[in-house]
Amino acid sequence: MKEKLLKKDNVKALCAKTCKEWETYAPVREMGQDVQFVKINGGEKKGALDKLDLDYESLLICPKAIGFPQLESLFEFQNGKIKETVQPRTKKLLFGLRACDLKAILFVDEFFKRNFEDIYYLNRSANRLLVLVGCTHPPRDCFCTSTKTGPFLPVNLDAESDFDLQMVDIGDAYLVETGSKKGEEFAERYKEFFDKAPEESISQSKKAKLAAEEAVNLKVDFDKAIKNFCEDKFPKEIYERIAERCIYCGGCLYVCPTCTCFNVFDEKKDQAGRRRRNWDACVFEGYTREASGHNPRREKWLRAARRYEHKLKYDYLTTGMSGCVGCGRCLATCPVNIGISQVIEEAAKL
Amino acid sequence: MINEYLPYPAVVESIRNESFDTKTFKVVFEDKKLAGSFDYKPGQFVQLSLLGTGEAPISITSSPCRRGFLEFTIRAAGRLTRALHQLKPSDRTHIRGPYGNSFPFEQVKGKDLYFIAGGIGLPPLRSLINSVFDRREEFGKIKILYGAKTPDELCFKDELKSWQKITDTELLLTVDNPDEHWQGNVGVVTTLWHNTDMSTSNGVAYVCGPPVMIRFVIMELLRSGFKDENIYISLERYMKCGIGKCGHCNIGAKFVCVDGPVFSYSQIQQLPDKDKALAV
Repeated sequence: MKEKLLKKDNVKALCAKTCKEWETYAPVREMGQDVQFVKINGGEKKGALDKLDLDYESLLICPKAIGFPQLESLFEFQNGKIKETVQPRTKKLLFGLRACDLKAILFVDEFFKRNFEDIYYLNRSANRLLVLVGCTHPPRDCFCTSTKTGPFLPVNLDAESDFDLQMVDIGDAYLVETGSKKGEEFAERYKEFFDKAPEESISQSKKAKLAAEEAVNLKVDFDKAIKNFCEDKFPKEIYERIAERCIYCGGCLYVCPTCTCFNVFDEKKDQAGRRRRNWDACVFEGYTREASGHNPRREKWLRAARRYEHKLKYDYLTTGMSGCVGCGRCLATCPVNIGISQVIEEAAKL
Repeated sequence: MINEYLPYPAVVESIRNESFDTKTFKVVFEDKKLAGSFDYKPGQFVQLSLLGTGEAPISITSSPCRRGFLEFTIRAAGRLTRALHQLKPSDRTHIRGPYGNSFPFEQVKGKDLYFIAGGIGLPPLRSLINSVFDRREEFGKIKILYGAKTPDELCFKDELKSWQKITDTELLLTVDNPDEHWQGNVGVVTTLWHNTDMSTSNGVAYVCGPPVMIRFVIMELLRSGFKDENIYISLERYMKCGIGKCGHCNIGAKFVCVDGPVFSYSQIQQLPDKDKALAV
């Protein structure tokens, strides 16, 4: 691995240059202080680069939306004839991802590859470079040290790492670690922006990683919780308690970086229209309701159980990786203060 | 990479009324090559589309040994199926598939086969029944137990008569609410157990119908000596994609669309109670 140094003063210039060759996605602080991970190409003149913010606390909408948008067309039709609307396999640079979101993206990748391949997602994700900026000021609700999904990811010297490049904030500059051949080529292609990393920057980065880990306040016994979920120890009574409080708005699932459920619907005007899909949420009463009216999960507590067991039991049993990456979005978003971290805490106590 | 979400145009060749709310559609792919090569197994389903209205999983009721066309028996129950009922011959639908697993067929050669269906549950079994009849001598005795709410709601009325004439085949019908012409059994499908000997040690049962019926039928089958692994049930769930992606048909770690829709009773017992594979 060859570490490099990227001075903070060079970040905007680097992104301005990458925009010429890549669809460049980066965290941009919008009006109202929300940070969105959006495409900045063409937005340079409108000041997107000035609003670039790698110090962001968290993104409300997770970057999985780049491969799996909230709403997308599957095909268009006119007079009974279908026209495909598959996305081109463009080069995409995802610059400034957090570790939890990157792990979530890899989890979603595997899901869309399994069984039948999802051409829409896989085309969008085919030529992708993932640049991680480790989280040095973790938000209050996240717990990535417990789920082992951050705040930094390990550099794998024997094989490709999860990231292509990982950036560590060391004050005036980022220490940049390469995690893959693609990452190395990227740093070489844009070498005018990178400097040789001095010896002390490497020790600084080690300190920064440790400090970031210590800054993650919320800690849960994740492994014990998963074990208890897999052994079916989680009692109905707790689900019923959650069900009493939950207002079934689906917010936690719309912001969840590993949720992949969608609804499909047609839109038509005269003889033309399109078939589209949009994100769906398993806590909705209509999610399992059949045309006959029969609904296997009509009772609220069953839907609460599904929501948590999918992430903490079935995902783990199917893939060996839990569907929770500890980002804390569900708790931050919930209007009645329920988060998966609390459910995990309850499960770990059993 | 194949785009599994793209359906292919297929024309309605003929429509037969089964009852006041159920019709059978005979459909042929417009692409002649596809019409000839489209292969499926009894128990599988397709995603059937009306562009502009939507798409739904519909089981194939025709038998794969009869090539060149597909048949679907559809009750007008929801928005899409009601729109399908407005179709006329030569109208166009769109189809993708086939999806899901199938009823075991080759593995049950030489065994006695029992088909138990309720209402609109017969259409998916009909695909298998006709496949079995096409190779009648390879199987043991056959019993078909079929119940509907009223005599009118029995599907394939003419075909049922022809089934009765097949060697060593017993057809038992029942209805919940008889009319003045009905001379057969009255009651739910499990009341047919009084009319025939269902005891067996190696018989194979295929069950399809409403959840409450399935539950009571399984109880009776077990009492008659059927083994858990010899009872096959076709489950129904709300689905949007049919290919294990949209999530709606999940039961535990399984998807009914790709891991099912056919499950043995031993497999069903491994599914979490919470997901109510058989409960109402």
